[in-house]
Amino acid sequence: MSPTRRDFLKASMGTAALASLGPGLGHCAQAAGRRLADDTVLVILELAGGNDGLNSIIPFENDVYGRSRPTLRLTGDQVLKINDELGFHPQLAGFRRLYDEGHLSVVQGVGYPNPNGGHDEAMLDWQSAQPHQTNRQTGWVGRAIDACDSADVPAVLFGQVKQPFCLNSQKTIVPSIHSLQDCTLRPAGSAESRPDHRRRLVEAAELSRAESDNPLLSVVQQGNRAAHAASRKIEEVIQSTSTSAGNYPRFPLARYLSTIAQLIRADTGVRIFYTGFGGDGIGGFDNHASQRDNHAALLRHLSESVAAFIDDLKRQKLLDRVVLMTFSEFGRTIQENGRKGTGHGSAAPMFLAGGKLKGGLVGEHPSLTDLENGGPKHHTDFRRVYATMLESWLGFDSQAALGGGFEPLDVFEA
Amino acid sequence: MLAKDQTDPEWAWSPYRPDPKRPWNLARAGHLYRRAAFGANWDQLQQAVAEGPQRTVDRLLTPEGDVAAFNEKFDRYEAASSGSDSADGLRPWWLMRMMQSPHPVLEKMTFFWHAHFAVSSAKVKNSGMMHHYVKQLRGEALGRFDSMLAGLSHDPAMLLARDAAANRKSLPCEHVPREFMVRTCLGTGHFSESDVREAARAFTGWFVLQGRVRFIPREPDPGVKRILGQQGNFDDSDVVRLLLQQPATPRLLVRKLYRLLISETDEPGDALVEPLAESFAAEYDIGALVGRMLGSNLFFSPAAYRRRIKSPLEFALGIVKGLEATVSAVQLGQDLAGLGQNLYEPPTADGWPGGRQWINGATSLGRSNLAFSLLDSQKPYEGKLDPMAIAQKHGHSAGESAGRFLLDLFLQGDLDDAVQQSVLKHALGEAAPDGDPSQAVRRLAHLVVTLPEFQLA
Repeated sequence: MSPTRRDFLKASMGTAALASLGPGLGHCAQAAGRRLADDTVLVILELAGGNDGLNSIIPFENDVYGRSRPTLRLTGDQVLKINDELGFHPQLAGFRRLYDEGHLSVVQGVGYPNPNGGHDEAMLDWQSAQPHQTNRQTGWVGRAIDACDSADVPAVLFGQVKQPFCLNSQKTIVPSIHSLQDCTLRPAGSAESRPDHRRRLVEAAELSRAESDNPLLSVVQQGNRAAHAASRKIEEVIQSTSTSAGNYPRFPLARYLSTIAQLIRADTGVRIFYTGFGGDGIGGFDNHASQRDNHAALLRHLSESVAAFIDDLKRQKLLDRVVLMTFSEFGRTIQENGRKGTGHGSAAPMFLAGGKLKGGLVGEHPSLTDLENGGPKHHTDFRRVYATMLESWLGFDSQAALGGGFEPLDVFEA
Repeated sequence: MLAKDQTDPEWAWSPYRPDPKRPWNLARAGHLYRRAAFGANWDQLQQAVAEGPQRTVDRLLTPEGDVAAFNEKFDRYEAASSGSDSADGLRPWWLMRMMQSPHPVLEKMTFFWHAHFAVSSAKVKNSGMMHHYVKQLRGEALGRFDSMLAGLSHDPAMLLARDAAANRKSLPCEHVPREFMVRTCLGTGHFSESDVREAARAFTGWFVLQGRVRFIPREPDPGVKRILGQQGNFDDSDVVRLLLQQPATPRLLVRKLYRLLISETDEPGDALVEPLAESFAAEYDIGALVGRMLGSNLFFSPAAYRRRIKSPLEFALGIVKGLEATVSAVQLGQDLAGLGQNLYEPPTADGWPGGRQWINGATSLGRSNLAFSLLDSQKPYEGKLDPMAIAQKHGHSAGESAGRFLLDLFLQGDLDDAVQQSVLKHALGEAAPDGDPSQAVRRLAHLVVTLPEFQLA
């Protein structure tokens, strides 16, 4: 832990809080066995609707692929070639560049046994990480942060997405944030009364109370100190980036990610961010008809937004602390339907982007003849990817979240 | 730790009678209104001080207004908002009830049961069922727990929420009986796995089909079951009866109500719980239990005073109630969701984590900002709350006088001297002649409700 960060934690929680939190924070850091484990950040990006893996990483030389997709197929001279068999969709140029720079890993053939074919059911399987169980209550992120037992804010939901099931937790309030202004104390802006009012607010809240035998009063005061400290940090970041905001495209996802980059830079202790885009409506990933242009636009939206995010973090020298992970509830059928679209499939690739990744392809491209639900079968359980993020990246105990038995993948630089 | 006399059950649960050492005053009236309701306005506090504790508790539990007519009207509004797969249309009506009901204790307790038998609309995806489920909770929120439990065992939202829509003889579903045993009645250690399995057999025959609960006569398991030490040809109503016969059930409920009404910093000892649990078990009369706790010596003692952290709902409504207005319930519902308390969507079957978990850096900041926008004259709440108008109505113009009034209204003036001085000093500063006085009082009210003391109930 760098001195500045430790100072900030002290300032934001109070030394007493740090001491009493010892088992919590310490536990999480120890599980990693790495000195800097509590500096790492995971950004989870949901692609809702079922992203077509075969139209993202394209097996352009494969005859089965070519025959199955009369209108959707892309050829060797159209794709952005990775090797003699596989290439990125032409609209994934940003991903291709990150791939060349070693900042993108493509985990191929990810799924789970007996995959569900319905959106809600499959999404719940991914979000709970308890496929096919009934009466599920908690999500995989919720269980992981509950096991951390930290008073800090370990996770936030960002953007205009509905509270995802994966954040359901028994012990932790996961706040949802819609803008950077949500993270700073109001009143904001240039009203004359503002600095005075702020000073009064902070003074009245932080003054020590003579009647100090109420343990709840100190809990609230610690919360206030953390709030004031975080707000100051974020305001500094807002001011310093107002003139030098990263080069983000004008997509909603890019807006979310640029704000997340600022929050990471403010270093308020949030370890997990969740955001998403897509959905099963028009313009979502659920392309049952007229997929070609729809999906191409979505891939461009995804790729350019993520590439801008990674470039921004790199410029701010934060990239080594961040991994972004995409997921979708399922891939799609290899066979194109009669409406120039595809159906709900099974396995698909997950994209990881960050500074500490080895980069490249992880695992084989799945077979196109051995199918399940009309799509490729998985060879890598998605819970292994989650375990990789929890254990190897965040330094959390993945036992509580995943129940053990899921070996992390070897995707990080030593 | 509780002081010695506070652990004496005889003293603790006897009715509080004011005496010179423990006078009936504004602070105790405010405490009663925070716990039993969602806070009070100035007239309510004054009336309570004038009438004394017993009369105030009675009036809170059995108000004079036409509660039935109010609830019927809102039942109709809610029924008209049903018919979608989300609770977005229902949520504002419940918040309106909380803001306007002549019987706020009923809404407070209905919400308590919503967190106890936590059913989420995110799972049920049927607003008609969610409406029916909460209506059922409201019907018995201060009534009989035995009736509530019996109703919920067949409630379609409850069954769907627990993946228990099909209770077949060949495949008994354990989720609902397990939940009753683990969480809502007995508690861990008071039943065995075999009790759960056998109770699941007794629950067979009930289905949710096309949005309705149906009993399919060929599906119940007619065999003999052995549940909680008793043997018989039990059905689901027998399981409910057996659960209510266990002494663990009233104890668990008394402990949970203790956290709501008395304290969340002290876990009560068995001796303190036992007298209440025993009398509660006789009739399962929730109103009687709540009334006894609210009127007790322990309730009005330092062991209970400010020994609970307000939920976001209690925090926001405390501001709204104090300032005698109604604000946009749609907006408030969204803002409360952002602070972790989305009505109709508890995160898990355990309800909301609550207590100290409500407070962290992000939620503290969120509370301050929610208070700011509630009190601001701009969007989204559009200045519906007007602290200066309220201060003037009760005889206080701006400046220090308004500052003292707001401290009395929201904190009954019970605040550390140094903090009080700090706030009042600012109150004088806010009254600067060049500024708009109503804006200054808005800022002052924001300062008061962001004080740590106001976060405590």
